[in-house]
Amino acid sequence: MDARILLVEDDPSIREVTAIGLRNAGFTVETAHDGRAGLDAFEAADPAVDLVLLDVMLPRMDGLEVAREIRRASTVPIVMLTARADTIDVVVGLEAGADDYVRKPFEVPELVARVRAALRRGAGVGSRRDASGSPDDGPLRLGPLVIDVAGRSVTREGSTEEIALTRTEFDLLVDLARHPGQVLGRDTLLDRIWGYDYLGDSRLVDVAIGRLRAKIEADPSAPELILTVRGAGYKAAR
Amino acid sequence: MRWPRGVRARLAGALVLLVAVTAVVLGVGASVFVDARLHQQALQDAAAQARFDLTVTVPGRQLPDEPTIDDVVRSGLTDTFLRRNVDTVIDLGAGESVKSNDALDDLLERLPPDVPARVGRGELAFAWLPVDQRPSLVVGGLAPGGDLAVYFVRDVSDIDTAVGQLRAALLIGTIVLVIAALVAARRLARGILSPIEEAGRTAERIERGDLLARVPVTSRDEFGVWADRFNRMTDTLAESIRRLEAAQHQNRRFVADVSHELRTPVTALVAEASIVREHVAELPPESRRAAELLVDDVGRLRDLVEELMELSRFDADAEEVSLERVDLARLIENVRAARSPKARFLTPDKKVVIDVDPRRLERILANFLDNAREHAADADVQIELDGKRDDEVVIAVSDRGPGVPEDRLEMIFDRFTKVDPSRSGGSSGLGLAIAAEHAALMGGYLQAMNREGGGLRLELILPKDVARSLPAGHVAAT
Repeated sequence: MDARILLVEDDPSIREVTAIGLRNAGFTVETAHDGRAGLDAFEAADPAVDLVLLDVMLPRMDGLEVAREIRRASTVPIVMLTARADTIDVVVGLEAGADDYVRKPFEVPELVARVRAALRRGAGVGSRRDASGSPDDGPLRLGPLVIDVAGRSVTREGSTEEIALTRTEFDLLVDLARHPGQVLGRDTLLDRIWGYDYLGDSRLVDVAIGRLRAKIEADPSAPELILTVRGAGYKAAR
Repeated sequence: MRWPRGVRARLAGALVLLVAVTAVVLGVGASVFVDARLHQQALQDAAAQARFDLTVTVPGRQLPDEPTIDDVVRSGLTDTFLRRNVDTVIDLGAGESVKSNDALDDLLERLPPDVPARVGRGELAFAWLPVDQRPSLVVGGLAPGGDLAVYFVRDVSDIDTAVGQLRAALLIGTIVLVIAALVAARRLARGILSPIEEAGRTAERIERGDLLARVPVTSRDEFGVWADRFNRMTDTLAESIRRLEAAQHQNRRFVADVSHELRTPVTALVAEASIVREHVAELPPESRRAAELLVDDVGRLRDLVEELMELSRFDADAEEVSLERVDLARLIENVRAARSPKARFLTPDKKVVIDVDPRRLERILANFLDNAREHAADADVQIELDGKRDDEVVIAVSDRGPGVPEDRLEMIFDRFTKVDPSRSGGSSGLGLAIAAEHAALMGGYLQAMNREGGGLRLELILPKDVARSLPAGHVAAT
């Protein structure tokens, strides 16, 4: 695998050892030591990077700001490195556009696994373990949405304007749209979309659903396409 | 808080009793004295009048010696006296007499025998007795010459009337005094008790943690002195508590700062160790074992720093509960599979689904399992879930380890408590303290008990309605 990763981390030791670990795993790694430099490196990268690993606490421009800036124009997977899992940091990071997060301190194999899962979402078609339905079935439909699975694009009926979804959001939408009316639990979605075998953070799902609704629902506070099933999970409207 | 009525009742009782006894004694004394004085006065008046009549009025009628009844009647003596409202009986001796009133017929017979006897000797004599059913004073004396004995009968019922009126007045006065005493007792009690009640309320506020509460010092009496002393004591206590709290705060702040500063190097160490671990087998034998130990110790350091940081966040009150509807059996099964795959989970027949913070519950359960695994073989560890109680859910983890001495059971949820202080390695001694903090945050608590047949049982008791048992403002919107 020769995916290119941009690592933005201010502590030299952490930056160096993380880069070593990722290179050992076969990735090409570029590094930056503060937020501003990270954003510059992202914009200057040629060819473009495939994934951004972003520390939250960064000098000059914090990781959340960098994530928001990147999200303005790109759907590249972003994995945050957060100091703690229990706090608002995680939710804020996800809302800023991150696809996943890894708690500090982390072990390199754990980080590599998260990076691979995030890259798979971007590269594969549909969700990892979902064999039903193939790209040849023609476009998926959910309400007024037309989902071109092979072309990874979503448009509204009668419009050619593409709705910009991150790869995580896209996979999530496809998985739900393929099972209209069927409740998919948070655990199931964590497994299928994020690749967590157990004890994933259900806030990943909730925040991603929230971001997805903001983009596809007419009124995100009264969703009609992706419905919450209290205590169980989410389902797509029939 | 209601005050016991004792002091008020006792004060009222004492005052009323005092007033009542005083009034009754004075009233009875006064009425007896007045009664006696009035009778004495009436007797003196009657005696003086009788003396005058016997020496002046009767001789003035020029009655013949040994007068007959006709002589006496003709003299008009009885009418003269009757005009003064005085009835008379004039005894002529030998059973003959003249009476001003028929009701006096048997008067001479009813008089005590010594009265006619003394009259016969020429003295004045008197008797109190009812005449025609009215209290009367009879004064008798011998007219000059010794032929006639005259008995003057005066109606003295006005004395009894006066004394009766006096008694009634005294009784009313006594009642008024008792009522006044009751009112006064209430006032007095209120005056004494209200500062005490105020002091009681102050003490209550201090008890609830308001160290700024003070008893108002409103007087310079004994109570004022007491209040002043109480306030000075509270000042001293509050100052001590403030100093202790400041010291504790500083202490915790220090721990928080230290663990925070450690986080970055620990993060680097953990990442580095994880790479070293993958290549341990390739290391030369001289450094291989050291590398293995290094990896393990980095893990321990990581756990310790993370736990210290976790506790620091509780101390800083920076924790929020984020509730989700959770199928407890499923969550427990997930944690079991991840943490202690050999542990047994006795799944209940019925689903138990409540609102909890799943991350905190996972943390508590994981710490329970870590503790059990540290003291007993994985296979002996058993997890139970009891949702049958009305308003609580119990999750228990039992092991077959050595258990904990009864006198140390209380302490195992304290920070850095290790049952066997000499034991090295293993956990930091913070895991159960952290679990206790998480439980408290969700309105629950932990319990520890030794099992019959050996081993320790740890219980998490959670309210079924977690949301309601949380203090306001601690729940994050979900």
